Amino acid sequence: MVQFYLDAERLPAFVAHLMAQKTVIAPHAKGQKSFTFETVAEPDQVVLDYPRVMQSIRKFFLPPKEELLTFDLTENSYETTEVEPIDAIFLGVHSYDVAAVGRLDYNFSVGSPEKNYLTRRQGAVFVGVSFVPDSYHFSGSVNIRPEDPTGCDIFLTKLFEGYVLEVHTPTGEELIKGFDMPAHDAGRPATGHFQQHIYVPQTRLSEIMEQSYDNDVWAETAEQCVGCGTCNLVCPTCYCFNVDEAVDVTVTKGHRERHWDGCMLRKFSEVAGGEVFRESLAGRQRHRIFRKFKYISDTTGQPWCVGCGRCTAACPAHISIVGIVNRLISDHAQAVVAPI
Amino acid sequence: MAEKPRVAIFDFTGCEGCELNQLNFEDQLLDILAHVDIVEWREAMDDRAAEYDIAFVEGSLSTPDCITRINDIRRRTKVLVALGACAVQGGINGMKNTQAIEEVREEVYGEDKYLFPTLPALALHEVVKVDYNVRGCPMTQIEFLKLFTSLVMGKQPIEPDHAVCVDCKLKENECVYERGMICLGPVTRAGCDAQCPSVGQYCTGCRGLVTNPNLSGMEEILVEHGLSVDEAWKRLELYNANDLEGAR
Repeated sequence: MVQFYLDAERLPAFVAHLMAQKTVIAPHAKGQKSFTFETVAEPDQVVLDYPRVMQSIRKFFLPPKEELLTFDLTENSYETTEVEPIDAIFLGVHSYDVAAVGRLDYNFSVGSPEKNYLTRRQGAVFVGVSFVPDSYHFSGSVNIRPEDPTGCDIFLTKLFEGYVLEVHTPTGEELIKGFDMPAHDAGRPATGHFQQHIYVPQTRLSEIMEQSYDNDVWAETAEQCVGCGTCNLVCPTCYCFNVDEAVDVTVTKGHRERHWDGCMLRKFSEVAGGEVFRESLAGRQRHRIFRKFKYISDTTGQPWCVGCGRCTAACPAHISIVGIVNRLISDHAQAVVAPI
Repeated sequence: MAEKPRVAIFDFTGCEGCELNQLNFEDQLLDILAHVDIVEWREAMDDRAAEYDIAFVEGSLSTPDCITRINDIRRRTKVLVALGACAVQGGINGMKNTQAIEEVREEVYGEDKYLFPTLPALALHEVVKVDYNVRGCPMTQIEFLKLFTSLVMGKQPIEPDHAVCVDCKLKENECVYERGMICLGPVTRAGCDAQCPSVGQYCTGCRGLVTNPNLSGMEEILVEHGLSVDEAWKRLELYNANDLEGAR
């Protein structure tokens, strides 16, 4: 694998070099304190030093709202809305968000493959960038290091000034052709320590969850939780959606739309007749955590949480996913020790 | 459809903003009128009718006369739709109910108060059966159009029951708490497409509370962001005093 040195001052030139080849989608500042992935218009607006974006790049492959088909009531006909591959370079993606796309690829491929997501996923190129963990990141606990290049065509590791640029795929090689950089042969550093840790690896979590169905933490968390659904909606591996239809005011034409949904929301578990089969916030919280560390993980062997810390950072009630999981671990440890 | 549904529009205690919002459907008004016959609407026309298929009712009920009228409307209509915060949950008028009613009456009417009998401001559903709600202050236009097309097609309208936070996250709005504001979005019913937070404002809760809201959790959030317990509840009561009666 080849390594180059990319000076920070040459970053806009590098972005421009990529833009000459394909659409580039990268982090930009938004609002007062936030960041978001947008199509790059001005190379110098790209921000590679950011803690996390509000919504991961999931939003490009599984849009918050998307039209599935349009229909005509007078002709009794419908037309499926066609979806195009996203032929773009995703620049400045953190390792956990690349990993999250891998998780979604699995979810939308197994069973009945989901055409819209998989079509959009074709053609995406990833240029990752390392991050410095803040007080919410804990991806190290789910085996995703800040400088992990898995899934990336090119990976940038931040140095004090500039980046170590590594090329990982032939696609990556093509991308840097014609952009001269000095070779780098000093390896690359780890980019920081995590402040948050889950105490045990996933291999043990499943069993601990198994024993934690009736743990008090669910009811205790439910006292703080207002059920707003924010944790679901900012999670890069959440993919639940709802589908509904609307007609326009002429009452002749309409469309079917799908939009993100979340298991923390009351209506999510409402069925015909008005019955809600997961009425308590405690039950919904347990379901959310089990979806991340048990249910899918029992099949795949991997945690379905990538440690980005978004759910905790965005929670208006400051409910910590690491706090909940560690509480289950310590309660389980005590229960095991207790008989002695 | 053999005959167009006959629609009537009524107002009680409120600012008439919801009705005005119906007249504001400038691009859609002709399409709307193609599907229904409006047979009674004091704000826009002179005609009166004896019976209706759909009655849209704005405002809360705050005098004995209101009670008589709403019962009369309920008898004459097949479907009754509450329009806007005052009609759906009592709205701003409900703040009256948190104070002694005689004091309120005296403050407003002074020495003539005996000429004006008054009641606590009630949401329509507290007196008659309400079939559907269009929430908001003023009523949310997109929701009105969805309900309208559903009724014309004879479909069951879907009422949203998730927090405004959901709509903000779908639009990737920066959370207004990040901007140092205090927002009721986490317990307020969405359906407005997070109109206010999308333009940098905070949510005041005009669309009412979600089903089974965690009010002590919400109080904790508001207090953490600098409100006293009393201020927190006053903020929640701005549009929802009736639903919060006894909850404090």
